[in-house]
Amino acid sequence: MSSRELAQRQGSGPAQLADVLERVLDKGIVIAGDIQINLLDIELLTVRLRLLVASADKAREMGIDWWENDPFLSSGSNGKSKSLDSRLRALEEKAGLPTDDKDDKDDE
Amino acid sequence: MIESPAGTGWYVYGVAEDDPALARLDGVELIRRGTLAAVAREVSLDEYGADVLPERLNDREWLERNARSHEAVLQAAAAVTTVVPLRFGTIYRGRGHVERMLEERNDEFRATLARVRGHVELGVKAWVDLAAVGQTLDPAEQPLEGGAGMAYLQQRSREQDRSREVTARCFELAEEAHGRLAGIAVAAVANRPQPRELTGRSESMVLNGAYLVPDGDEQLRSEVDRLAAEHAGLGVEYELTGPWPPHNFAGEWE
Repeated sequence: MSSRELAQRQGSGPAQLADVLERVLDKGIVIAGDIQINLLDIELLTVRLRLLVASADKAREMGIDWWENDPFLSSGSNGKSKSLDSRLRALEEKAGLPTDDKDDKDDE
Repeated sequence: MIESPAGTGWYVYGVAEDDPALARLDGVELIRRGTLAAVAREVSLDEYGADVLPERLNDREWLERNARSHEAVLQAAAAVTTVVPLRFGTIYRGRGHVERMLEERNDEFRATLARVRGHVELGVKAWVDLAAVGQTLDPAEQPLEGGAGMAYLQQRSREQDRSREVTARCFELAEEAHGRLAGIAVAAVANRPQPRELTGRSESMVLNGAYLVPDGDEQLRSEVDRLAAEHAGLGVEYELTGPWPPHNFAGEWE
């Protein structure tokens, strides 16, 4: 299929979301406006976007690299680590292993 | 109507040379300074305030709607004059702040506008069906020797070699394609291929290029057709997108 046919095939429909996101979120001139918009806040698409956008590299340069230490890519809510902890604890108890008791996190 | 407590801000989509044709655009306002015009819109900070943005950005529907709207405004502006796209979510608290930004960056904007004037961005993606690429490689299959265990190991080893060869072949194809397209374009960028999670396609993207070409020029399109014809037997498919406003060619000032 020629590119012309391809272009026609998709020309009638809207551009693919991935192409639009890649361009508007990661390209274009970056100017710090009055309102700080931190695109790294986008957790919803974290896994997809971090693979896609160079922002991940930029973020790394800025020292923001939380996803690299987090096997779950912090894509869930903040409560996730807590639930993982409790699941781990339950497993440890089941296996008869000593559990690492830390109550401080329940205070938050 | 009572003003929202959060107030409003000015969302700037892009910057153009101040051109009477821009007045035709719907739904946006022009904020002018010198010979430049910011294509902007007044937005509610209930929607775009710093305190609500993190939540909004994680609302997939909101993000898609606003990212598409950002692109639509730029497309409309690009249809009437040259426009330099700004990154999504560039927001100022007042018109005066936008004017000051235009003034401070006057030289940079004018230099970029001069560079992209009369040009459009085209996107070219190449997709491969990894299994199909594997089949195009040397199919020499030697009979497996030895017992079942040895045969299994040989088989595994062959599969790994094959997988490495397929990857290498894909890199070659992508490099060749990008080189040929970049040779035609005024400027070229090879972006990271989009992952499957984002594309939703079973084929792998091996090239995700953006090319700045003269508006109306068909050379790059023809070259993509040639590549598609040459690589059709290798299980490679090309996809051309655009024309886009020059998102990929707005950033570098050097």
